[in-house]
Amino acid sequence: MKIKIILLVILVLISFSKGSFSNELKLENKINKNLRCLICQGQSIYDSQSDFAESMKLVVKQKIKAGMSEEDIYSFFKIQYGEWILYDPQFNIKNFALWLLPIVIFLAGGIIIIVKFGVLKKR
Amino acid sequence: MILNYIGNFALFFCLILSSIIFFTSISSLNNKNSFFKRNLNELLFFKFFFTFLSFFSLVILFINSEFSNETVLNNSHISKPLFYKISGTWGNHEGSLLLWLLILTFCAFFYFLKSKNRPLDERLLTVMFQELIIIGFLFFLLKASNPFNIIFPVPNEGMGLNPILQDPLLAIHPPILYLGYVSTSIVFSSSLAGLMRGNINNFWAKHIKSWVYISWTFLTLGILLGSIWAYYELGWGGFWFWDPVENISLMPWLSLTALLHCILVLEKRSILHSWTVILSIITFTLGICGTFLVRSGILNSIHTFANDPERGLYILFFLFFLIFLSILIYFIYEDKFETNNKNLNFYSKDFSIILNNWFVMYFLSVILIGTIYPIFLEVLSNEKISVGPPFFNKLIIPFLIPFLIFMSIGPNLKWIKNNKLSNKLNLIFIFILSIVITIFVYRFYSSVALNITILLAVSFYLFFVTIKDFAKKNYKNYSQMFSHFGFSLLVLSILMNSIFSNEVTSNMQVGDEIKFLDKNIKLQRLENTKEANFLKLIAHFKIEDKDKIELLFKPEIRIYDKPETITSEAAIKTDIFRDRFLVINLVKENDYLNVRYQEKPFMIWIWISAIFISLGGIINIFKKNEK
Repeated sequence: MKIKIILLVILVLISFSKGSFSNELKLENKINKNLRCLICQGQSIYDSQSDFAESMKLVVKQKIKAGMSEEDIYSFFKIQYGEWILYDPQFNIKNFALWLLPIVIFLAGGIIIIVKFGVLKKR
Repeated sequence: MILNYIGNFALFFCLILSSIIFFTSISSLNNKNSFFKRNLNELLFFKFFFTFLSFFSLVILFINSEFSNETVLNNSHISKPLFYKISGTWGNHEGSLLLWLLILTFCAFFYFLKSKNRPLDERLLTVMFQELIIIGFLFFLLKASNPFNIIFPVPNEGMGLNPILQDPLLAIHPPILYLGYVSTSIVFSSSLAGLMRGNINNFWAKHIKSWVYISWTFLTLGILLGSIWAYYELGWGGFWFWDPVENISLMPWLSLTALLHCILVLEKRSILHSWTVILSIITFTLGICGTFLVRSGILNSIHTFANDPERGLYILFFLFFLIFLSILIYFIYEDKFETNNKNLNFYSKDFSIILNNWFVMYFLSVILIGTIYPIFLEVLSNEKISVGPPFFNKLIIPFLIPFLIFMSIGPNLKWIKNNKLSNKLNLIFIFILSIVITIFVYRFYSSVALNITILLAVSFYLFFVTIKDFAKKNYKNYSQMFSHFGFSLLVLSILMNSIFSNEVTSNMQVGDEIKFLDKNIKLQRLENTKEANFLKLIAHFKIEDKDKIELLFKPEIRIYDKPETITSEAAIKTDIFRDRFLVINLVKENDYLNVRYQEKPFMIWIWISAIFISLGGIINIFKKNEK
């Protein structure tokens, strides 16, 4: 058991020392994948080749060049087009159920297993 | 023309036969030696035959391009190749429902034929529930989406089939997927029947297991085909978009996977009776729910090709009816479950399967909530939000980590007993090995997020543990080993793929050259050709790497005229290490092309691993038959 814990700690430490994310193109693609193409059927602007998507991609490129952070760019688009454009739903009052409900279900499942099969009693 | 009537009347005849079978099975329950009991097999066969006749007429109508039929008119075209005329039969709403019905009637017939070792009243009840579903679908087909509506005067030319559906993979994708979806109806009916007769026990589990394996295998293959198609047809290199329609096909698969494991526990230990029934109900209703969401057009999806709100309403009604019925039956007959409070031991196979169910149900709930939450929010507050890949990644990846660890250790535990792991040292050694490899990968490429790094380590762990299991000397459960090995390979190749993918996008004219890593990409020339039902623009690219090895790529743009659509056909070169993916696109009012070149490592292993996963199911189906 001890060995496992030590290994886990090592693993976590290794993972924390990760390098910085510098590649501009990678960032651009990441942002493009998180923005919905508004005139398409369920495609991100990264996946779409419509005129709308193409011009959005240009805007993203310019904003990165202008030194805006990823979050800034998202909030810029959110103000312009509404939350519908973001593929990564924000954690706020109307979305809290979206984020928390699965976790609640997970915990409930755990409780059911413990109660039903007396896992704790045995130990 | 005459085929329209034949098809239509065959369907009516099916409805009559179905009603006869429905009432026969009820009356035979009370009066065990009634006349019809012996003939039920024949009746079920005739019903299948008439559905087949109806389906066959539609296929012939499509082949002959008889535009007196509304479905053919809307979805076919004279100049379409024969192969797509046939596959066009199920490439639309009406035809695909007819296919659904065809499989449904076949399942009912096949079930009755193959269940002779089960008590007669359970079989009759199963058939009864099956008929209920069939009658529901027949009404829907005849009332709201009849494939045999006649148009007069007869038009000369059809509207054509959506070109992105004109693809060999997509021609076989729906039948395979439907075989998976529809055969879960037998599991559903049989579990309700077993519940009513108090038959849910280890013998029932042994019997229904093969149906679970069959549906699971077909569903796995069906999803795989859809994913491959999305990769080269829709795609810009993606193979899974967390698109609502994709999620909907994944949900029954997940609950079926949970059921597949849970039913083993029921068989070995006679516990989890009620949970097995609940899972059977969930699986089938999710399948119907999927049909509703896809057909109603509520979802905003790339896969929504045709939809109609009225039809959605009917399916929704039918769905609620089925759910209500199952809940009612469940609570009325709940006391018929065998109750035995057997204790579970923490270090046993039974318990790790329960953990599996726990996690799989969590993944299912993430996908379910992520898919339908936006719909509810829009109805309630009139606000639109999008739930896309980042949401699913954030909620699934952290939970995938312990899941993969349980998945590697679980199969090495024994049933019932609280046993110590005999080969503990081996497992620890493999654990260290996986960490070392992960560090190596990490050094090689340092911009990987923390959760991905850990996930990579545990999927290496599962990978090596399953490989070690192949070398085991004693009894081997090949189907489990193949599927688990396939799953570890799947997670690994997806991770490697997302970490090491590289791409370049540029606008190019003929003669232009761009640099990408150590390669030179040159657009040499453009070529125009005319095919049977589309115009083709082929771009000739030459990619030269530092060793002066040249590769030619010929991506295409196709311009279809009926209906008027432009599609991009990617040029893909696959080898065992990577896919090279080149796709072009026309830029409006400009004389240059938009070019995207991607190198995607281990792409083919994603498909191979999915085949491994389904191989596990196939092995199990045939293992059952040998006995």
